[in-house]
Amino acid sequence: MRTVLFASLRTYARRYAAAVVAVVAAVALIVVTNALTSATKSGLFAGIDAPFRNAAGAVDLPSDEVTEKYVDEGGWVLAMSMQPVRTDTTMLGQDIMVGAVATEKRWQWQDLEKGRFPTKAGESVVDANAAKTNEVAIGDTLKVGSGPSAIETTVVGLVDAPAMWSSPIYVTWPEMQGWKDQYVQAVMTAGTGDEADTWLDTDDYLTELQTQLNQEVNVVAYMVLIFAFIALFVSVLVITNTFSILFAQRMRDFALLRAMGATKRQVLRSVRREALALGLIASALGLVVGTLLGWGIVALVRQFAETAPLGEVALEWPWLVSAFVLGTLTTLVASWLPTRRLMRLSPLAALRPQEGFDVRGAGMLRLGLGMLGVLAGIAIIFVAVAWDDAQTGMLIVLAGCAATFLGVLFLGPALVPGLVRLAGAALAKVAGSPAKLAAANAGRNPKRTAATAASLLVGVTLTTGVLTGMNTIRAAMLDEMAEQHPIDIALQAESQPLADSVAGDAKAVPGVADAAAVPGALATVSSAETEGKPVPLPVVAPPAGDIALEDLSVKPGTMVISPVAASAFVEDSFEASGEKVELVVGDRTATVTLDVREIDGAPQISAETLRDLTDDPQTYAVWVRADAGADPEDVAGAVGVLAPDAELINGKGQRAWVELQLDVFTWAVIGLLAISVLIALAGIANTLGLSVLERGREHALLRALGLTKRQLRRTLAAEAVLLSAVAAVVGTALGVFFAWGGSEVLIGDMLPDARFDPPVLQLIGVVVIAGIAGLVSCVAPSKRATKVSPAEGLALD
Amino acid sequence: MTQTSVPTMTAAARAVGLTKTYGKGATEVHALRGVDLEIRRGAFTAIMGPSGSGKSTLMHCLAGLDRPTSGEVAVAGQPLENLNDDQLTIFRRENVGFVFQAFNLLPMLTAGQNIQLPLELAGKRVTDETRARAQMIADTLGIGQRLGHKPSELSGGQQQRVAIARALVTQPAILFADEPTGNLDSETSAEVLDHLRRSVRELGQTVVMVTHEASAAAYADEVVTVKDGIIEGVTR
Repeated sequence: MRTVLFASLRTYARRYAAAVVAVVAAVALIVVTNALTSATKSGLFAGIDAPFRNAAGAVDLPSDEVTEKYVDEGGWVLAMSMQPVRTDTTMLGQDIMVGAVATEKRWQWQDLEKGRFPTKAGESVVDANAAKTNEVAIGDTLKVGSGPSAIETTVVGLVDAPAMWSSPIYVTWPEMQGWKDQYVQAVMTAGTGDEADTWLDTDDYLTELQTQLNQEVNVVAYMVLIFAFIALFVSVLVITNTFSILFAQRMRDFALLRAMGATKRQVLRSVRREALALGLIASALGLVVGTLLGWGIVALVRQFAETAPLGEVALEWPWLVSAFVLGTLTTLVASWLPTRRLMRLSPLAALRPQEGFDVRGAGMLRLGLGMLGVLAGIAIIFVAVAWDDAQTGMLIVLAGCAATFLGVLFLGPALVPGLVRLAGAALAKVAGSPAKLAAANAGRNPKRTAATAASLLVGVTLTTGVLTGMNTIRAAMLDEMAEQHPIDIALQAESQPLADSVAGDAKAVPGVADAAAVPGALATVSSAETEGKPVPLPVVAPPAGDIALEDLSVKPGTMVISPVAASAFVEDSFEASGEKVELVVGDRTATVTLDVREIDGAPQISAETLRDLTDDPQTYAVWVRADAGADPEDVAGAVGVLAPDAELINGKGQRAWVELQLDVFTWAVIGLLAISVLIALAGIANTLGLSVLERGREHALLRALGLTKRQLRRTLAAEAVLLSAVAAVVGTALGVFFAWGGSEVLIGDMLPDARFDPPVLQLIGVVVIAGIAGLVSCVAPSKRATKVSPAEGLALD
Repeated sequence: MTQTSVPTMTAAARAVGLTKTYGKGATEVHALRGVDLEIRRGAFTAIMGPSGSGKSTLMHCLAGLDRPTSGEVAVAGQPLENLNDDQLTIFRRENVGFVFQAFNLLPMLTAGQNIQLPLELAGKRVTDETRARAQMIADTLGIGQRLGHKPSELSGGQQQRVAIARALVTQPAILFADEPTGNLDSETSAEVLDHLRRSVRELGQTVVMVTHEASAAAYADEVVTVKDGIIEGVTR
């Protein structure tokens, strides 16, 4: 039988193309994932020990007291803080990571490239790359931070640092301590520390840190693997279909082998070995393709994004072996059902003419199970929608979606040909007999038609589900962002009022649509929490009008305040709404009720309350509305320079950032799903290609009867388009329905104000793209079909 | 639409100096080695010969399914050499009918749809007139009651009669039958051959049948014997 095996592989190699493509894509995706994660890890871990070279040990995430204790004993901190950084003339950025640099030689772990290390407060070093892009040089003076805690510092050196600990600028630690929010990653100790402070020696600390980072990177890798598994599932459908068709075509060969004395087991073993060989070859190819792609992508990223923390690719054996085994197993599993059918083969089949035609649709059992799955799934989704708790509800929805989807897959042989016939009848009105023939072709082998559609259905359902779900979540999150950051850009004074000219100057900044001076006063508050001492509290009275996204006028007698600001004088600022406090300006007072929520800038009171407090309000904030298309960073930078001492709040920038994150996430998911869709399209091309081989005689007959080449091509094109369009429409319907279920579960619990909102244009786009892709997939098969002359075709067996 | 367009011609089809060679060099096969032939209009002609004699190639060339290596073919007065593939296809659609040995019918269409197919391919509207004509032909062939069935639900004889009905529905200038009884038992064969002969007698249809069975050829008015790519003789 070995002769037969090798001869078959040689003869049918081209017909396995789609199966190979499917396995290669899925295996390669796994390898690429490993390439990227390994490069990320080696990038992160390179030089991770640099700061610890002279440390005896370290405490991770220390408390303030612990930090102080060990620094006093000669230790040092790994600390960072996000602060605005500007030169005299320009804003370099509002949220720049600032690290700590030591004046003591043994803790100066950065690599000095130029200049020297700081010797006292007021001196700093800048990352060499950051200096180049921001045009900062040794000797420049930078202003870091905002308001009273801002510091002025002179750049004395340029440094390079390992990716893990790198930041664009490093100032001295005592200066950083004046800031509200700094984050201490670790405190390094000169000598042995206390176990009670969770002190670890350097080796243990680094091992722990690496383990933790490893896990974080792995979580991302595992999420990407989900898409590899989806691709593998689609591959199973494509490969099963390929084998079913191939074996149907080769039934007579197998029967002939049986007639010549091959046992059932011999035939079966031969085709299973064929599947195994295919799986091995395709998986090996997948490893090669994945490795090349991985190296290529990492090299590209390193070329174009120098700051990306990517190191060398170091593929790991467990990943490669798993990818290879998974690819091979997928092929074997997919071939199992089609090969089992060979067991029913009788030697006599060799003598019967081959029809290449299977009117048998799905059995009653299959249809029954399908109906059950769909009905139960829909019921489960409705149950989930009514569920109160979003987390449990989400799990129930997922179960419902899975049941519905499996039900639809089971119903496929009845559902898909029916829908294709319906769509074909509509298409026939414009496209004539080719469409009619195409629709009839779809019904001739319902299981094959359904399986082909199913592979595309998976990708389309997931894609449209993600698009629809993300659209709802996106709208809700952007609404929430707009509520929290309704002011595009604000300059907030802290202890000194702003100059009167600022609002006028701001109006002249390019990209600014309007600017308004917001009147306010510097009040004081005292409470039990402040031990009776008055604390200063700048307050503003928002103007009416459209300077912000919504009218922010406050009701008289109320003060809207952020939890952070409120924490200065109330015990539990998140629960402080409704409490009354007394504002004092000079000798005048006003009692206001607190309304604590996330707002930007100073507490807001009504114009009436401000009048009660002072007759001479001053400008305590300038609010800016930017043009819709303006770049938030550019505008904020230019506005910030107008009042260097004021706090600069970039609401538009924060909204834009969240929007960008949502878009990046959505399109990353769509991009990964696209791999599955491409595999499915290769499957459609393959099914069509194999059908063309199978129907050689029929096409010859049609050509003899007067079907032109162009009509034949149109028939095949119509078949591909009908199939992919039906799969796309059914998939979109399912995806939207599933997304509706998921959204309804989230709405009311996690997203109180969300509304289900399908992105109609994008969904239409998906269906159109699927149709066009179907058209593309039929190009090669129809070329092959029209190459055969009618006389040749009639002689085909 | 056909006979009237070539009123002066006496031959339904004519071949002059026809040769057909497959392959090159050592594998060269001469299927036809110079054939001159005239097919009489309104007659039942049988082309006879053993397998490999070139009779099917001759038929394919006469019907415009294949192009000869050299020589000329004219069907219904129309020379076929200068027609491109599309013109040839449309010519077949309008002037030629086919009945093959097997795989005659499209499995996914019903018998009725198969009969109407040539009209549909031509983009003609199926009128009451054509429908009545198709029904009449089907009734004549004794398959009027089976038009709603798929080919797989019909017997071999019934399938061949559906194929004959389909060939007749366009009123072609010439009908080619390639071993139409090859897959049938003797009783059914006789019925099918009888139907072909009746279409010649009663409808004035020109029929060319390729066969290797003398018993089938006996139904014909004229028998052309082919052997090794040349015509051995013509008997009436």
